[in-house]
Amino acid sequence: MAKRSFKVSTWTPVAVGDGANFTDNGYMGLMGGSSTQRLTLIEFYMGGQATASAPTYMVLSRDSVVQATPTALATGQSDAPLDPSTAALAAPAVAFTASTTKPQRSATLGLLNLSFNAFGGIVRWVAAPGEEIGVLGNTASLGEVSLSAYTGGTPGVMGAHIIYEPL
Amino acid sequence: MQSKRRHEGYLLIDHRNSPGLPGALGGTGIFESATITCAHCHVVVVLNPDRSRARGYCARCDHYVCDNPGCNAECLPMNQILDELQEEAVRELQRGSIILKE
Repeated sequence: MAKRSFKVSTWTPVAVGDGANFTDNGYMGLMGGSSTQRLTLIEFYMGGQATASAPTYMVLSRDSVVQATPTALATGQSDAPLDPSTAALAAPAVAFTASTTKPQRSATLGLLNLSFNAFGGIVRWVAAPGEEIGVLGNTASLGEVSLSAYTGGTPGVMGAHIIYEPL
Repeated sequence: MQSKRRHEGYLLIDHRNSPGLPGALGGTGIFESATITCAHCHVVVVLNPDRSRARGYCARCDHYVCDNPGCNAECLPMNQILDELQEEAVRELQRGSIILKE
């Protein structure tokens, strides 16, 4: 298929523990667009925008409870193909930051710890080709991943993007 | 001959213009490191250059694995699991027994 970028220009993560409901607009979530769709996660970037020290314990994890009825992305949030000639998908992946049924982070399927200080800090992780993290379908626990703040610290405002590819 | 370094991802945590994190969590300055994605569970491992123990490696699938005992016990690559689950989901769809979510 084609690589896409799910970006949120400015947001403040809301710290939650594993197995607890996420707070709307306090996380970034990505779910397969159908029961058979596969995604590969290629890159994560977070750039701190806080104006005072803000240790932020970001975690990339699979979700043990997946969202239902996602809210459409708002101003400053987008999910766009990197290549302008990309054809529209029949079942696009679901990029979201809010939903009616709240997702929950898995306590056992954490994938990547990206702690940083959102007061001027920058974090970027890129997978080697062929070593990307996989997502399959739209059910727990392989069908959804989230970028969210773990309990502790004082999460600060940031901008972030996730580059991924539906297969 | 291929190098195992081809499996390595890249992690950057840049605190040059930031107070950084409390001591044990990373401190200040810039931190760059290679990472590996465990072939058997897809957990990302930040490589510790001071590590002296041998790193987990699966010769059968020619990939690094993490320290989880389950990932070192047998070769069952996550990509293979995803392939099989995807196949199964397609078959279920063809049988009409899966209701697609919106």
